Amino acid sequence: MSFTGPGRYREESAKMLRDKPEMRHSVTQATRTFDDHRTHAFGQVDGERWRDWARDVKTHLLSNLDIYLEQAEESLERNGAHVHWAETGADALAILEKIVEDNDVKRVVKAKSMLSEELAINAHLESLGVSVFETDLGEYIIQLLGEPPSHIVGPAIHRSLDDCRRLFHEHFGTPLDAEPDALAAAARIALRQEFLAADLGISGGNFLAADTGTVALIENEGNIRLSTSLPRIHVAFVGIEKLVPTLGDVAGFVQLTTRSATGQPIGNYVSLIQGPRREDEPDGPEEVHVVLVDNGRTNLLADDTAWEALRCVRCGACLNICPVYRQTGGHAYGWPYSGPIGAIIAPGLLGLEKAMPLPHASSLCGACVDVCPVRIPIPEILVHWRERAVEEGLVPLAETVGLKAYTAAAERPVVFGAAGAALRYAPLELGGRALPILSGWMQERSAPKPSPKSFMQLWKEGLE
Amino acid sequence: MSMAEGPEGGGSEDRPRPHHNDRAGARARILGKVRDAITKRRREPHPGHFGGWRDQAPEDPVEQFIRLFKAAGGEVCRFDLRESASEWVRNFIGDYATVSLGTIARREAQHGARAVRIEHTDPADAEVGVSMAYGAVAETGSLIMIPQDGRRAQLLPPVHVVWVEERTVFPMLIDAMAALAKELPSAVGLHSGPSKSADIGQILVKGVHGPGRLIAVLVDDKGVQW
Ligand code: SF4
Repeated sequence: MSFTGPGRYREESAKMLRDKPEMRHSVTQATRTFDDHRTHAFGQVDGERWRDWARDVKTHLLSNLDIYLEQAEESLERNGAHVHWAETGADALAILEKIVEDNDVKRVVKAKSMLSEELAINAHLESLGVSVFETDLGEYIIQLLGEPPSHIVGPAIHRSLDDCRRLFHEHFGTPLDAEPDALAAAARIALRQEFLAADLGISGGNFLAADTGTVALIENEGNIRLSTSLPRIHVAFVGIEKLVPTLGDVAGFVQLTTRSATGQPIGNYVSLIQGPRREDEPDGPEEVHVVLVDNGRTNLLADDTAWEALRCVRCGACLNICPVYRQTGGHAYGWPYSGPIGAIIAPGLLGLEKAMPLPHASSLCGACVDVCPVRIPIPEILVHWRERAVEEGLVPLAETVGLKAYTAAAERPVVFGAAGAALRYAPLELGGRALPILSGWMQERSAPKPSPKSFMQLWKEGLE
Repeated sequence: MSMAEGPEGGGSEDRPRPHHNDRAGARARILGKVRDAITKRRREPHPGHFGGWRDQAPEDPVEQFIRLFKAAGGEVCRFDLRESASEWVRNFIGDYATVSLGTIARREAQHGARAVRIEHTDPADAEVGVSMAYGAVAETGSLIMIPQDGRRAQLLPPVHVVWVEERTVFPMLIDAMAALAKELPSAVGLHSGPSKSADIGQILVKGVHGPGRLIAVLVDDKGVQW
């Protein structure tokens, strides 16, 4: 199974709810746990001030992105790294292909990277006859299953322990009642050989500090450190929006991102990579390539409303809190970025028409704004895309009722704040038309008519 | 295409694909699109140094490091004499048949004042690795590992013993970054606990790829009583 694009979102989500109730259980449990940990971790710090700071750093970065891209390139080249520029996904793959050919690469280990999913790197490498192993345990599980990731932080959260037991039994002969430790040990042994044999390691980049040319990577397993330390060549794919001005900013962002993603003060491992190994270093890659990828990001940057989505640090907090995501999991969204963040960047990265109906895959409940560590106004951007879709004749007019009311309230922040609770129910008073996704499901499931109860209550009654 | 037209030009496949080696062209086009996109907006200022992530009263940095490092599953052995610390390390690794030493430890094992004969095994085959940290971070409970000491010994053995001097515990991560920035090596690793994952049914397992045990040997070289 691979992604086919967001176009079939309605059918896929309905199918998911009907056919895979156990999947919903796994997703709901995992996202609740993530969110509890995040809440706890933010309780320990001055989270509001911290989020203001992070928003302002990224806004500064984006409004000066040309300058910082040039600075990052200069710093990386000074460090001895090769810098590439990829305007499209095809360009990024062509750059990788050239590196593979020039170095006669046969085996690749891969660290978890959402950008690499966006670029569909694995399929391309396989078509070149190169073997590629995902090394993050969750990514490895779904690679064995032949599935795409369903969450930007926990790619396999839609799979239960029993699913993994069956999978590992088939692949490694572990007992069907094996404990998670034993399963992880089997994966460790299999992947250790790949780490030691690989010619090339691929990673993404959580941040790229322009002043020092540092690619920063956050993880818990150690597979990213291994993928970027053992093979002779390291290639990092970095979206152009991942830059931050300084290494000092990285210090703030790695902590903020981890607290927001998993609730830890910092990831178990943070890699700060400047370039290839130096003379006084006994090991490490001889070549480091950094591929700066646009692939539609400048489209988002040019949009006067949606550009703010480029502040995203991919923490997954908006997925974890989202009542829509919790019901369906990530696969229904039809492309690698699911949940609220996926819905607001899809029109920029895929084009608005191809992104439909994702801007409608939300009830505009606003829960995501409250958790986003870089304060992206997600509902505002959703409404913006819905309006654009109407202007371009991509959506029936009936589905837009209620949006204007939301926009009007959102434009007056004081009213918005004071009337927060009331606003969350507002769409329901409009006969459920502002919840087109929900009404779609309800028809499929012939559930009772929506009543003006809380959103979560409604959700439960309608779907369970 | 003028970027003022907005996002509808998004798909990558409708644009002609530039030649493989058209690096200068791709660079110029991306920078051009970025400039087109932002010229109409104000260049916003940087908010400056955050100045501290916590509201709470400052904690003793070494205590804070120990608290957070242990909370993440790390183990700490604290010594007020280098002598006793090295004795502990020698005893500890004595229990293992194969030991991998970082560059600094290896130099000591071969040329140290005390003739300590420890055979060095390649990290891929060793049961325990011994490294020296550049320093530690109190705020995050992290050990700062640098590549001059050897990355493989920091990552491959299932047990990792790290020597760290108390005077090198930085209160905040940004302090450590500032110190490192003066002469950054090719890659720095912050290790804040044993390798772990919850990817199998959301149940925590340790030692997935990196070491499953991480032991910080904290040495107060001033010999101060505590
Ligand atoms: S939009 Fe905000 S909450 Fe969602 S993944 Fe991005 S940074 Fe995290």
